[in-house]
Amino acid sequence: MLILLPQAIVDGILLGGIYLTVAMGFSLAYGVLHVIDFAVGEWIMLGAFVGLTFTNWFHLDPLLSLPVVFVIFAAVGWMLQPLLQRVLSGSRGRPVLMALVFTFGLALAFRGSALTVFGIFTHSLNTALSQGSWHVNWGSFFLTIPLIRLAGLVYALAVIVVLNYLLKKTDFGLAVRAVAQHKEAAGLMGVDIKRTSAAVYGLYVGISAMTGVFIGAIVSLNASMGPDLSLFAFFVVVLAGMGYLSGVPWASFLLGLIQSFFLIYLNPSYVLLALFTILYGILLISPTGMFRKGV
Amino acid sequence: MRGLPAWLWILLVIAGVGLVPVVMTDAFFLRLFTEALMWIGLAITWDLMAGYVGYLNFGHGVSFGVGAYATALLIVNAGWPFEPAAALGGVAAGLVALISGWPTLRLRGAYFAIGTWALNRAVMQLALVLDITGGADGMRLPAFLRPQFFSWVMLGVVGATFLVLWLLLEQAPFGLKLKAIREDESGSLAIGLNPAKLKLQAYVLSAVPAGIIGGVYAYWITFIDPASTLGDLVTDQAVVMAIFGGLGTLIGPVIGALLLFAFKTYFWAYLSDYQVLYLIILGLAIAATVFFLPDGFWGTVTRRREGRRALQKGMALAHFPEK
Amino acid sequence: MHRKGWWVVAALMLALGLTLVTGPTMAADEFKIGVITSLSGDLATGGSVTKRGYDLWAKAVNAQGGIEIKGKKYPVRLIYGDDQSQPAQAASAAERLAAQEKVDAILGPYASGTTLAAAPVLEKYKIPMITGSAESPLIWKQKFRYTFGTIPPVNFTGSAAIKVLAALPQGPKTAVIYGTNDTFSKATAEAFQSTAEQVGIKVLRFNILPPKQDMTPLMSAAKVLNPDLIAFGGHDEELINLVKVLTQINFTPKALIMHYGVTEPAFAQALGKNANEVLGASVWTGSLPTKGTLGWPTAKAYADAAVAEYPKDPADYTQAASSAAGLVFQAALSQLAVAPPLDEAARTKLVEVLEKIDLQTFYGHVKFATEGDYYHSNAGLTPLMVQITGGKEAVVAPADSAQAKLVYPMTPWDKR
Repeated sequence: MLILLPQAIVDGILLGGIYLTVAMGFSLAYGVLHVIDFAVGEWIMLGAFVGLTFTNWFHLDPLLSLPVVFVIFAAVGWMLQPLLQRVLSGSRGRPVLMALVFTFGLALAFRGSALTVFGIFTHSLNTALSQGSWHVNWGSFFLTIPLIRLAGLVYALAVIVVLNYLLKKTDFGLAVRAVAQHKEAAGLMGVDIKRTSAAVYGLYVGISAMTGVFIGAIVSLNASMGPDLSLFAFFVVVLAGMGYLSGVPWASFLLGLIQSFFLIYLNPSYVLLALFTILYGILLISPTGMFRKGV
Repeated sequence: MRGLPAWLWILLVIAGVGLVPVVMTDAFFLRLFTEALMWIGLAITWDLMAGYVGYLNFGHGVSFGVGAYATALLIVNAGWPFEPAAALGGVAAGLVALISGWPTLRLRGAYFAIGTWALNRAVMQLALVLDITGGADGMRLPAFLRPQFFSWVMLGVVGATFLVLWLLLEQAPFGLKLKAIREDESGSLAIGLNPAKLKLQAYVLSAVPAGIIGGVYAYWITFIDPASTLGDLVTDQAVVMAIFGGLGTLIGPVIGALLLFAFKTYFWAYLSDYQVLYLIILGLAIAATVFFLPDGFWGTVTRRREGRRALQKGMALAHFPEK
Repeated sequence: MHRKGWWVVAALMLALGLTLVTGPTMAADEFKIGVITSLSGDLATGGSVTKRGYDLWAKAVNAQGGIEIKGKKYPVRLIYGDDQSQPAQAASAAERLAAQEKVDAILGPYASGTTLAAAPVLEKYKIPMITGSAESPLIWKQKFRYTFGTIPPVNFTGSAAIKVLAALPQGPKTAVIYGTNDTFSKATAEAFQSTAEQVGIKVLRFNILPPKQDMTPLMSAAKVLNPDLIAFGGHDEELINLVKVLTQINFTPKALIMHYGVTEPAFAQALGKNANEVLGASVWTGSLPTKGTLGWPTAKAYADAAVAEYPKDPADYTQAASSAAGLVFQAALSQLAVAPPLDEAARTKLVEVLEKIDLQTFYGHVKFATEGDYYHSNAGLTPLMVQITGGKEAVVAPADSAQAKLVYPMTPWDKR
């Protein structure tokens, strides 16, 4: 079945692209704010539903809702962050655990709200790209690349590039990196910690919400989709090394490729067993992520 | 009253609670009674790792599930009677904890949390793909439906767990040593502790009772499958209950478990049309508790009392200054 | 210091116990029928279907004043117990309905796992249960005396559809079959597979997948194999995802058959024109020429009544089976002729009545098997094959029930 090899690789990378969209905002949030947001899946889900609502109201292509979704959720994240900060900076209890449980509570509340407002059924976002695919046929070599999945990958890479630019080439990025490295020192240097933190969280929520629109278009959306997405966000980010943004694409593609190869060449029944075991194994061998650059 | 040692007090309370199934024989009440005890057991064992050692075990459900399946396999496939099967369920869970704990406990913080979660998911997948566990179809156990029996068994298991944990954590130095690890793991080496060994002991200690509880659960409900025994729900509920109550104490999770269980059951029994509201209310309640009462209900109460006592002492000293 | 904690604990336990234990009610002017189903949790979509079915029946029978026993009419009151899609809660609900509410009978859960947990409890209390949904053959193998089902097991319905396809002139010769790893979907996929092998369709790939698995690599591989038939057992979300994958890689098999879930409005809504020509298996649609001697006179009458009550959710076969379960109780209770509340002896007798029941309803013929692998399930129904046509389900086989002509092979996605 060597004939399927190129397709297996492409499918794996595209699948990794989906994981990348889910994990990239989350990695930013952890790297800078040191918060494990249990609600990342729910942010994605809510973004998908807002995209759906926008599409149904205005009868426009769902991908056009992306800027609107980003702005709305970035604002929500910006406003929510100070609450999170208070939890994180508590003098009692363990801040990391507290933030985790706080966001877990939020996730439950979001899920319940979505179930109440949007119901239990599964929906799909249909865009102009939904059915197209690129076909390459060259003798016995062939490849099918679904356009919407490719768009997801392009989106993910674009966000990474923009984030990279933002972090490395702007003053804002400098402030963010300072806060990530050492909050108190950054404050002493004149960085407005509160605003920077709120901005980063807003950025993360906005990105995650946009991801929701893509997931709704590539796969489907329903009010209970959050936990599975959070799971993959955590795994990718931990595999990459928490806080190490550059490792996220590699970890995403690795997980996507493992799945793809397993499904095509091995017994699909065991794919998730293999995946979780591999993840667990890598963590044991390299406790701070696969590049050993995690915090 | 004051002269009674703590452990005797605990025994008396357990005995007192044990009288409840004699008086209240309604089957549904006893089912709730048993389930409440089950959650108390799961919450306090989780708190052992989270509150005392400071390690968030998101794979606590593995111990429960391994215990449930081991017990089920022994009863159904090997014809064992219930009691030894459940006991061996605990042993099986302990063995899994021993083997997986040794490498896993090298992970810290978030990595440990997510690593244990990965392990939990892997074990669930294993239960789904193996034939011997029945896969997705689960396993059916012979029906032994005696509500009083299970109430007492669960009380016995959870009560004994509480007593043992009390003795080890609050009376013996073990608890202090664990807390030392929680506060400063590298520092604890400097004072001569062996964190690796202590952590592993705590990890196994939290796994064995959870495994026995899982075994009791299997025989009690008569049907187990991967989703109900190895899913996230078991761990998630234990976590929330322990947090509600207050980490780092034993009574905290007990109270948290009772509160949350009462709330959940009330909603389920009387407001089942509004089950989605339950999620919203629960979520907001959890967030609010973390926000306003990071020590949990019981933790905040104890702190306040400690604070008041300290204040009283201080004021007493102020009135009678040392000469 | 910790002593205060104990008082809190004691107080809480007492409060919990007292608030939840209500005294026995002595009202005897109505039949109390408990309902255990998934009102929340993963299976809520299916549970809501059974709820609609049970509610429709209760409403209809109460509109007539209730069930007539010795000249007096007793209305029916449904008391719900949410199993939250978990076996432990199903058992708990069963115990509550039996011990607390002291119901006369129970209408059963949507899923098989929850049914398996509730059934032993009901055997203990000797309360008959009819489920309008749980389709796993495992339930009937357990031979619970007090549990019945108006729906035949899934291996019965699924296999018929494959046979119809095989009988077509240019019928499928090769197939790729997948199923999700849960009781129902697995049984469906296995039924598809064993029947396919029986009728000479070569099964190129068969596997059971983890739930919600992304199927793109699998379908890419399938595209190379170019099977005539793709068969899949799964739940609503997975069905939608599969069709999307197939449209994305632009592979249209000659036939795509799935099972429960294609008839949900959400399926057609999400997929638009791509939902059309997808095949499913069923035992009832609103167009069947059935005649009911009790309750709704025809399938159409029921379908109309259902849509009037729930405009956004047209009735499917699970809903119909659920309402039929109610009708069966209605007939059996009338035959038993004992006024509520039913004591244990009456309920045991009710089981005997149920075993002998032979009822024609809008849903079809209901007669429970009393031995064999399908013990207490309703194996007397004719399996149907449905196809989504114009966004709605239409029966395409067997010929005497067909509403529309079977479209085979499927129109390629990009030509729609």
